[in-house]
Amino acid sequence: MARKRERSDIVLDMLLSIQEKGNRIKPTHLMYKANLAYKQMKLYLEELVENDFVKKVKDNNYDYIIITDNGLKFIEKMKQMKEFERTFGL
Amino acid sequence: MMDLDIVYSPRWFYGKDIMIDLISIFVLVLIAFFTLRYYRLNRKNRNYLLFASSFILMAVAFLFKIATNFTIYYEIPQTSQLGLLTLTYSVIKTSDLLFFAGYLMYRMLMLLGLYILYSIYHKQNRFNVFLIIYLILVSVYFSSSAYFMFHLTSLIILSIITYDYFKNYHKSMQVTGKWLAYSFVLIAASQLVFIFIKLHTLLYVIAELIQLAGYVLLLITFIKVLKDGKKKGKE
Repeated sequence: MARKRERSDIVLDMLLSIQEKGNRIKPTHLMYKANLAYKQMKLYLEELVENDFVKKVKDNNYDYIIITDNGLKFIEKMKQMKEFERTFGL
Repeated sequence: MMDLDIVYSPRWFYGKDIMIDLISIFVLVLIAFFTLRYYRLNRKNRNYLLFASSFILMAVAFLFKIATNFTIYYEIPQTSQLGLLTLTYSVIKTSDLLFFAGYLMYRMLMLLGLYILYSIYHKQNRFNVFLIIYLILVSVYFSSSAYFMFHLTSLIILSIITYDYFKNYHKSMQVTGKWLAYSFVLIAASQLVFIFIKLHTLLYVIAELIQLAGYVLLLITFIKVLKDGKKKGKE
């Protein structure tokens, strides 16, 4: 059975989803790509905006979420943390 | 009053072992620092905190070892060779006291650090923790008269941790996991050689060099972990 995703896993999945889409994604796409329910995504998104990991922008009447430099740095740290966790069995 | 201490290091190696221990401290503190940063990212995983505490305790243990060796090498006025052993004659009572207290702290903190690392991979209940801490204190007490007790205890704990790292490597099949296991093989091997240092002063040099190789490999492994982490994407 797959383990339940932790908060940090969800945040990382969201940021990686945005990064994979060229650092810009529509909220609905993010919801599907990060495998989240609408309410869940809204809550996490607010947190990401508060921490300056992502920004909400409007382009041609469409809402987009873009990743910030802080978000990219966070991805790097999280990836290293996951690698460390796997190597040291933590 | 004249007291007698036994130094296992050959004279030409004085100070070089201190350098090796300083390198070991650097590696331990560096990894502990990053582990604490990772703990701040994921406070739910208390293993990070235990891991960092273990490495910090081991680093502090090495500091005590260095302080003790420094006192012996540079404060004791006379030494002479008797067979394979270098005998140091001390006329300074405080030096003896520092030697005893320093080594006691070194051994106790090192074993506690290793035990915390062990407890990450083998969950302990409260009674086990009390029992093991008691046994560590007993082992440290007896090691003041039989020094090898400390190295034997370290070797046993390190062997189990090394086995755990090999098991983890077989599960994850990551190169860094293999390197980590080998670095602990070297650190455990150094303890094995330390057990026999009374037989020949060169064994002390060999043990220290194996320890150095172990910590350098641990550092290389850690750097590779950081590099590989940057490369990997979503999994």
